[in-house]
Amino acid sequence: MTNSFFAKYGAIFRISFKQAWNNKANLSGLLFFLFILLFIYNRLWVVIGIQDNVSGYNAIYIWYLLLAEMIILSSPRMERILFNDIREGNMAYYINKPISFFLMRYTEGLGNMTVSFLIMGGFGTLVTLGLTGQPPFAWHHFPIIILMCYISSAINLLFYTGVGLCSLWLDSIRSLGMVVERLAFIFGGAIFPLSIYPQWFVNIAKWTPFYSIYYLTIKLVYDFSWYNLFEAVLLNTLWVSAIVGFVIFTYRKLIKKVDIYGG
Amino acid sequence: MAADFLNNLKLFLFIQKSNIKTAFQNKTDAFVNVLMMLINNLAFFFMWWVIFEYKDNNINGWGIGEMALLYMSINNAFAGFALFARGVQTLPEYIDNGTLDNYITTPRNPLFMIATSESTFANWGDYLTGFIAFFISGYLSITSFFTMLAISFLGFILMSSYRLIMSSLAFFIKDSQRLGDNIFMAFITFSSQPASIFTTGWYKVLFLTIIPAGFISFYPVELIKNFNWSDLAVLSGGTFIFFFIATRFFYFGLRHYASGNKFGVR
Repeated sequence: MTNSFFAKYGAIFRISFKQAWNNKANLSGLLFFLFILLFIYNRLWVVIGIQDNVSGYNAIYIWYLLLAEMIILSSPRMERILFNDIREGNMAYYINKPISFFLMRYTEGLGNMTVSFLIMGGFGTLVTLGLTGQPPFAWHHFPIIILMCYISSAINLLFYTGVGLCSLWLDSIRSLGMVVERLAFIFGGAIFPLSIYPQWFVNIAKWTPFYSIYYLTIKLVYDFSWYNLFEAVLLNTLWVSAIVGFVIFTYRKLIKKVDIYGG
Repeated sequence: MAADFLNNLKLFLFIQKSNIKTAFQNKTDAFVNVLMMLINNLAFFFMWWVIFEYKDNNINGWGIGEMALLYMSINNAFAGFALFARGVQTLPEYIDNGTLDNYITTPRNPLFMIATSESTFANWGDYLTGFIAFFISGYLSITSFFTMLAISFLGFILMSSYRLIMSSLAFFIKDSQRLGDNIFMAFITFSSQPASIFTTGWYKVLFLTIIPAGFISFYPVELIKNFNWSDLAVLSGGTFIFFFIATRFFYFGLRHYASGNKFGVR
């Protein structure tokens, strides 16, 4: 039972991984975008550093930005994929197969995400090292930080898959997806860390999932401690439980609705 | 020539009317989408407000007022593109699946037909953001208002032209939709930064050539702050050079296009 479960989803993961790996045009575009982001924000922090007579701003903030972008950009647009499946009726073709439709889409997304994450990680590390020189972390912590970021990417993917399931109640998912993405940017401190935001705003951000999925995880790059790591793991686990609960609830509703309409 | 222009203008107005009518079939949904777009834009602006507050409202000579003007420029340019020429973004899809045949076999100008084939109503929220940003920028006057209108038009042409160049890559590279999307996103990200950080050396050259973000950010802001004809001439000249390159590149690519033999009627 367990073996066949892993074999099925493992196969989906591998196919999706290979497809994403072979889409060279897409990967080149992604890397170009990442390069531009690192380049311009590096310039911003260098200019601010010169203005303040402080060196090393860019080393902290550009490594931070790289990890944030690895989490955000590696994820495919799950909410749009799910929206199309639900609205165009594709879901009905999959629902009678011996596989969970939701897990199938999530595993596909995971395969796609893993390729982007690895490619961006390798390329981004080289570019960021070239731009900033010395990193703000000890190299022996780097594998733990990267692993935490990968887990955050997977949670982020799950979150947007959950957003996609909201298509059940909406005529269009594009705007909701964009607003959620923007709120994630702001409350998660995805471009500028929350440490520079006003305290009242940070107090609000703490109540959102983005605080731990993005900020607490990425912050490890310049403020690594076992306590911070534990805090990030604990809060991420809590939020994963909440997201999974929401997904199960919505998915059950969705299945019932498809049954009613007969697909 | 003039008759052609008038005919296309009439068709353009008719298409826009139809787009609005279609969006208004579900009024609540349309307004919610516009509102969400506005929230989305203002949230991003908030992020910049934070960084300017953090830096005592000064990043290399720019304050939040200049940033608001930049926001006006980029949002109005993007709104124009998304409302009136969004089809340019879908061009790679048309090329890959052969739908392009439908547009090049009509007696109308193919580029015009492609550009107007799509529109996203939610992007009226970008115009709303642009106007709000202009009104809070602290640079409000009769001259700046008319300059803002001219800038918005030029920004729309420049953004559509740049997107057309990226989309036309699909004539030569298969499955290049996301490649074009990512390069276009890079252009928008470049344009959304305070231009004051790119005003020296080869940064400025890059800023005005390969990624012509300076024409969306630097010149519009300078023009509103201190209107002068020479900056307006540079802005107009740069925009029309990109427009010329984009249309030439599109027609060059079109000559390489092999039909997908997809049958359809429009």
